Amino acid sequence: MASEMPENILLQILAALDLPDLIRAGSVCSAWHEACTSLCNLGRWKQPQTPCLVYTAKSRGDSAAGLYSLSEKKAYTLALPDPPVRSMSFIGSAHGWIIAADDRSELHLINPITGDRIALPSITTTEFVRPVYDNNGSVKEYLSWPAFPMRGRTTPNVYGLSELRDIFFDKAFLSSDPSTGNYIVAAIHNPCYRLSFARAGDDCWTLLPPHDDFGDCIFKDDLMYALTQLGEIHVFDFSGPAVKQKVVLEKMRSYNADNMYIVQIPCGDLLQIWGDYDFIPLAEDVSQPRPLEEDDDFSEPDLPYAYKSHKHYATMFKLFKVDLTANKLVEISSLGENVLFLGQNQSVCLCAEEHPQLKANHVYFTDNDEFCGRKNIVRDIGVLNLSDNSREYLASPQIWSNWPSPMWITPNPRKMSSARSGSTYSKSQGTARPQAPPTSCWANVFWHEWSVA
Amino acid sequence: MASAGSGDEKAAAAAMITLISSDNEKFEVTEATATLSQTIRHMIEDGCTDGGVPLPNVTSKILARVIEYCKKHATAAAGEEGSSSSFSDAAFLEVDRAFLEELEEFDDAFLEVDRATLFDLILAANYLDIKGLLNLTCQKVADSVKGKTPEQIREMYNIVNDLTPEEEAEIRRETQWAFE
Repeated sequence: MASEMPENILLQILAALDLPDLIRAGSVCSAWHEACTSLCNLGRWKQPQTPCLVYTAKSRGDSAAGLYSLSEKKAYTLALPDPPVRSMSFIGSAHGWIIAADDRSELHLINPITGDRIALPSITTTEFVRPVYDNNGSVKEYLSWPAFPMRGRTTPNVYGLSELRDIFFDKAFLSSDPSTGNYIVAAIHNPCYRLSFARAGDDCWTLLPPHDDFGDCIFKDDLMYALTQLGEIHVFDFSGPAVKQKVVLEKMRSYNADNMYIVQIPCGDLLQIWGDYDFIPLAEDVSQPRPLEEDDDFSEPDLPYAYKSHKHYATMFKLFKVDLTANKLVEISSLGENVLFLGQNQSVCLCAEEHPQLKANHVYFTDNDEFCGRKNIVRDIGVLNLSDNSREYLASPQIWSNWPSPMWITPNPRKMSSARSGSTYSKSQGTARPQAPPTSCWANVFWHEWSVA
Repeated sequence: MASAGSGDEKAAAAAMITLISSDNEKFEVTEATATLSQTIRHMIEDGCTDGGVPLPNVTSKILARVIEYCKKHATAAAGEEGSSSSFSDAAFLEVDRAFLEELEEFDDAFLEVDRATLFDLILAANYLDIKGLLNLTCQKVADSVKGKTPEQIREMYNIVNDLTPEEEAEIRRETQWAFE
């Protein structure tokens, strides 16, 4: 009966499915398989998908990612090609791709559904990192700077190959699905939470001068909206050969804050979200699911002393509608039917009417404070009801290891074309010795700003 | 004014359309109900509905259900249009919400049919080009396969698996995770 469905009807039925269901439906019979394949190739699967939590767990092996489906309340295990995903630090997630730093602090795009990977330009091509070579010409260390170097300081620090990623990267973003071959990747990095970007195929990162203290970015109408930790919004236009930038919203608060988010709600408006957090003693959080003791050594959290016995704990999220014409924020008390996904992922706002398994007017959060990349930290992951700030945890007992830091992802089944995927990997980083950035340029931008004063 | 009166009568008469099912049963429906179907709307616009609209792909049983759906949704659409001017905003929203809730309840009850009927409704909605009904019925099928294995889906809908064991193994090899 269902095999005699006209193709357009079959496509419409399958286009209403979230991902694990779509994949299973694809092996029902040849007609369903062809319909699924064509939906995936054409990008016509259900979009946006209901987000999932992507994470790793020691018990699943070093090369497997866990995917917790909110629509099914079920955990899946995805086998990923090397290098092992548990050696990666998660920096961001967008359009179904993980943006991750490997144990040499180099960035990669990984689609956990298809296993596709893209190597991004080397970290040594950013303005603020220089490689240090050993006698064989291999990079053995990096020279770079902490988040806030002291004014007047003129010598960079030495960082180990895997150490730099925790110091350097804050969060990364994608303009569009990289499997289409066309995308811009942007990263907030140190010193001073600046922004750099690279286009598909670039072999180096380009700094977006001259501002700093960025906290979150989204892409809207082919523009990048970058939010600073003071609530300022900068717009970057990448459409021409030269990037254009302007400030569209003045600063909205007098001191810098972590956990600032910018998101577009389904009707098109922009929201700013300011997260409020407490540091609570670990022992006080009785509702917290037990961490996986087999996975992590919690006796030695990689944190400054004061934070070792405490946990970052989301208490509330303030919501503001951005009014660009009046240059102001208008606080709102409810998201209505909408749902937010905040954390290390590119911020997402969905309508619960299209995702009946999600709770309207709730924030699904993962933590992304400045220690997010650090190991052996108890994560704060859960769902917060905006009407009364009550919280619940996602899954108990806890299913994820605490590192790499779990984050939300909207699964994406589109494979890169085989012609492209054969050649992309290792293209930018490759086997050759990474090119040192032009020293003069680095000196001009960097020494100038930090050696005066 | 006699001329205006006869015009009204004429309009009322013209506003009724006769639909003829594959087993030759005739259904009289208002134009507002019938034009939820884009297919029939185009026939009306082309002036080829005199003497009834034969629907050789739709049985009387299914056509009766389709008309039931269209009547309800045509009334709701008319109600929404009419109510905006006669209520304050708050009252309008209240009425609007009540309409939507009632409509949702109707849709849920409407979908309480066996799978054979559901598929016939999909085919009829597709043929008659009734977007709302097609979305509703397709979503119902999508909901029914959620969380199901391919074997369960085949069984539910009597689908013959025409994939060779090799093809099926190849598909599963790439996407094994989704089958656990």
